[in-house]
Formats: sequence, C-alpha cells, structure tokens
Amino acid sequence: MFLIAVRNLFQEKTRLLISVGGVAFSIVLIMVLTGLYRGWNDKMGQYIRSVPADLWVMQDGTEDMFHTPSVLPLDYESKIADLDGIASVKPFSGRRVAFHTANQQDVGLYIVAYDAERQTGLPAAIATGQNVPQASEIIVDRITAKNKNIKINDSLDIAGQKFKVVGLSEGGDVVTFSFAFAAKEDAEQILRLPNSTNFFTVQLKNNTDPNQAISNIKNNLPGVDAVTKKQFVSNNTKLIRESFLPVILVLLIIGTVVGTAVIGLTIFTSVVEKIREYGVLKAIGMSHRQLYGVVIKQAMIAGLTGFATGSLIAFGLQATVGDFVPQFVSQINALDMLWVFGLTLAMATLASYMPIRRIADVDPAEVFKA
Amino acid sequence: MSIIEAKNITKIFGSGHTAVKAINGVSLKVEAGDIILIMGPSGSGKTTLISMLGTLMRPTGGTIWIGGEDISEMSGAKLANLRLHHLGFMFQSFNLLSALTAQQNAAVPLMIAGLSKKPALKKAEELLEKLQLGERLDSLPKNLSGGEKQRVAVARALANQPAVILADEPTANLDSKTGHEVMQLLCNTACSEGRAVIIVSHDARLKDVAKRVITIEDGRLTKEEPGNHEPNCPTEHGGQKQ
Ligand SMILES: Nc1ncnc2c1ncn2[C@@H]1O[C@H](COP(=O)(O)OP(=O)(O)OP(=O)(O)O)[C@@H](O)[C@H]1O
Ligand SMILES: [Mg+2]
Repeated sequence: MFLIAVRNLFQEKTRLLISVGGVAFSIVLIMVLTGLYRGWNDKMGQYIRSVPADLWVMQDGTEDMFHTPSVLPLDYESKIADLDGIASVKPFSGRRVAFHTANQQDVGLYIVAYDAERQTGLPAAIATGQNVPQASEIIVDRITAKNKNIKINDSLDIAGQKFKVVGLSEGGDVVTFSFAFAAKEDAEQILRLPNSTNFFTVQLKNNTDPNQAISNIKNNLPGVDAVTKKQFVSNNTKLIRESFLPVILVLLIIGTVVGTAVIGLTIFTSVVEKIREYGVLKAIGMSHRQLYGVVIKQAMIAGLTGFATGSLIAFGLQATVGDFVPQFVSQINALDMLWVFGLTLAMATLASYMPIRRIADVDPAEVFKA
Repeated sequence: MSIIEAKNITKIFGSGHTAVKAINGVSLKVEAGDIILIMGPSGSGKTTLISMLGTLMRPTGGTIWIGGEDISEMSGAKLANLRLHHLGFMFQSFNLLSALTAQQNAAVPLMIAGLSKKPALKKAEELLEKLQLGERLDSLPKNLSGGEKQRVAVARALANQPAVILADEPTANLDSKTGHEVMQLLCNTACSEGRAVIIVSHDARLKDVAKRVITIEDGRLTKEEPGNHEPNCPTEHGGQKQ
C-alpha cells in the first residue's frame, strides 16, 4: 500500500514541504548541537593528546590543566625517574594569561614553557613560521591569530614582557583560549615558579602496567597524584560535558517534540481531510493493519526525507560555517547519525498515533451516506 | 446455496422511546446471476438493508449467511477479508481515492488483496479497457466526468471478482442517460460473469437492467416483481446505448 501512502503524501505538496521542513529543522538542531559538543570536546583535549606522555603527574587535588593549579618541586623529577617501569620524566609548565593587543583585542593564552634541552613544551604542529621559539619570541595558535588579527612579526605585550610572534601553531585552540609557546626562560618570568613546575609528563617502559606505575608514584611521593593520558584528557574536557550535555539534552527534547508535532499535525490534517477515503478503504476490505500501515508509511516518508534534508544541511553547515565563526567546530560522527536516525523513526511512529486513532474510529457504514 | 441469505433481520437505531426500527423482519435470498433492484421511498430502510447485507453494519436481530457462513459471529477483521474477496461496492458519490489515477483506483482492491503493484495495474488496465476507459487510465478523478468516475468505480467493484456487487444509489449523481448506461454496463458484465448485483435506487428506469425488483416500505419488503433484463446476458455488452 506504498502507492496510496506516497500519493496521499504528494497530493498536498505545501503540507509535505512543511512536514519535511519541520523535521529537517529539528534534525539540523539536534545534529549541529551534537556535532558542536563532539567538536568542542575533541578540541579541549587535542593539545594534551599531542603531548608524548603515558602519565601526567600533578599536585594532589589537581584535576585538570585550567581550573585547579598544580605546583610540584623540580627535584621530584629524579624521584619519579627512579621508580620501577619509568622510561622518562619531563617537567611541563604553563599558565593562562590575559592581555590585549595593540589594536585592543582581548586575548587569552595558555603559555607553555618550551625547553629546548629537554624537548618539552612543543606545539602539536606548526602552520607557518618557526618551529620553536627563541628568546623573546612566541608562537601562537593559528585560529587565535586569525580571530584576533595577530600576524607574524607582530609584537605582543604579555605580563610585562615583549614578545615577537615568530610562528603560528596548529591544534592548540581550546575555543575560549589557546595554547602559545615561549622559551623556558621567558615563560619562567611569567610563571614565577622558581625550582618548580606544574606537571611532569611520564613515559613508561614497554610492558609496564600504568595503574601499577600510578600507585608507585602516589605511594612514594606524598601529596602527588598521577593519571593516565586518557584520564587527563577526560578531566580537561569534563567542563564541556558537564555544562554542555544538559543544554543539549533540553534542546534535543525540544527538537524531538517539534519534529514529532510537525509530522503528527500534518499527517493528522491529511487524515482528517481524507477520512471518507479511509472509510471507503475500510468498506472495500482493507484491514486495520493495512490502514495503519498507510499512515505510518506517510509519517516515515516525511520523517526520513526530513532526516536526509536535515543531515545534508547539518553537514553543509559543518563544512562552511567554521570559516566565518571559528567557534563553530562541529564534528558529526557516524554513531550520532545512527541515533538521530533512530530518533527520526521514533518521531514518525509517535506522530502516527493520533491519525491512527482517528482512522480506527471511522465507521465504514458511513460511506453509504451521500 | 444462496450467495447471500438474510433471515428475518431487523435493525433498531437508538433505544427507549427514541428507538427507530429501520428494518423490520426482512428475509431475502440472493442467487448467483441475480440482478436485484431495491426501491422504496426515502427513509424506508434501503441503505440500512444494503449496509447489513454488505457486512458494514450488524443487524439487531435475525441472521445473515454469506456463502453459507453465518456472519454474526465473525470478527471485524474477518468481515473485512470477506468484503475484500466476495463483495464489491459502489456508492452514490463514487468515492474514488482523489490522489490516485483511474487505473490506480481500479487496482486498489487487488493490491489490498496482496497482488503486487505491476500485475495489479495491468489487471486494472484490462478492466478499464473493457469499460471503455482505456484512454483515461492516467486521469485523476477530478478530471473525469461523473459517468467516467462511476465506471472506474465499476472496475474497482469488479476487480477482485466478487460474488456480489452492492450499489447504493449509484446513479443519483449522474444524468439519467449516463446513469442508465453505466448500470447497464455493470449488470451485463456481472451477468455474463455469473455475479449477482444488488442496486438500491429511486430510479425506476433501472428496472430495465434488473431481473428482480423488490419494494421496501417502512422497513419491510412489500412487493417483488420481475425486472426487464433480458433473460440471457448479452455477451459483448450489446444492450448498451452509445
Ligand atoms: N445511524 C442511524 N441512527 C439513527 N437512525 C438512523 C440511522 N441510520 C438510519 N436511520 C433511520 O433509519 C431509517 C431508514 O434509513 P435509511 O437511510 O436506511 O433509509 P433509505 O431508504 O436509505 O432513505 P433514502 O432513500 O433517503 O436514502 C430512517 O428513518 C433513518 O432516519
Ligand atoms: Mg439511502
């Protein structure tokens, strides 16, 4: 009975358009939000993932890089290195600073101390310019540079020091601020942590159990905590999950309700208009199951066309909007597509309920009335 | 065995002092090849009777057998299946599906019965060609004349080769010449294929196509006389006037 469903649906093109448009709107809403969530989550952890480390060691009570400061004495380095299973230990120092540029742009940077000798505090990748900063030089993130109109050779006044921009790095944008890289001596002037560092990055020997190494560190160094890289990434993206997810959930519900209501209302109006025709189908012997099938098929066709349209728009936005609005980092993945697809099927099914009830009530004997 | 047998059926609408006895003890046998015209004044119970014979309404009292089976115990789903395979319907207001073409409308009962789209449309095309609608296969109902619409309805009613075709005032929305032609077409086709036809109508001219003419008054059958249908079915719809 696909024929009847399709024909009924396409008979009123405007209504079909409204129906498909409504579903597409809610699909775009849901997909873009989910994509932004994934994108931001990914960005927040991107730089940390690029740092070669199996474990991050920090002051006890510290969870992440940005909100809970950590200070550790430098001489812990050798103490950690002496423990079983440790291949290498390197200090990692950095601090968030705020300043404004010559053209009055507010900028937030997380300045990482680059140590040429120890090869620590390197950018994830370089887009243009120098690979590493020398004295009084700084490398800033490409996206921040673009947003804040910072160019190579510009001079930046940061916490009382002058820096010359010598390179633009890739993969250090954390949406509200970004990673920047300065030589260790310069960074120390800003960080003011004599004989201290913020973190140690630890690489383990092959076949070392990370959990064993973590308990070794904790047991031997009081007041020190250690976590795996994966855990540290997760700690640093927790903010996104905790503040973003509830908002997404609310908008997801709104999107689902809008989608369901639009399909439901358009199909219901169509059923009410054609109620006599459904009565005729009943009279000539169509079973209730087949009748309901006609309705559900209409809802499914409208829903899935809306899903396809909405997905295309969402991917279109993902591919283009980022160029104009740098914060728009959307990453829609296959799994999200799949559950949004499932959600569309659920919307269509739910939307069929009222129209089906209406058809169930029709008395086929009515069709003999003129 | 009669195709349809009704024994002492009644239908009461409402209850208490507002109750209306629309059908009051009607008994009727419909045999293969019968062409029955039921006539009677407005409100005499014609629609109520044909609705019950067509299983669209359950009688208050009495029994109806279709193909020898008592239908009073059948579920709604079973009745729908019975209608699909054994009964064909025609209505005063044609009741075609507005979104479907003539050919698709005629194919609907075949598809409901489980035939896939292609063979169903093929069969519908053959039927419509027999009814001289071969040129209008792709027309939507809104672009068809009343007579053409009712001929599509004839095709739809015949599609599943039912034993009986039930028609309530099928000519009321047609001019009398067109109405007469369409009914002649239906009756000749049905007769030559051994199907029975029950027509409810005010139109006395339809006596020409009927074999039996039954009068109903106040819910009772009061008279039966023979109609003017030629005793042998004209093979190539010869009786119709073009
Ligand atoms: N659903 C109903 N509820 C109450 N009364 C009804 C109902 N259907 C029919 N009736 C009554 O039953 C009687 C017979 O009605 P029916 O429609 O069968 O007459 P009819 O012979 O078909 O009339 P017409 O020639 O005007 O079509 C009428 O008095 C009518 O008012
Ligand atoms: Mg009537």
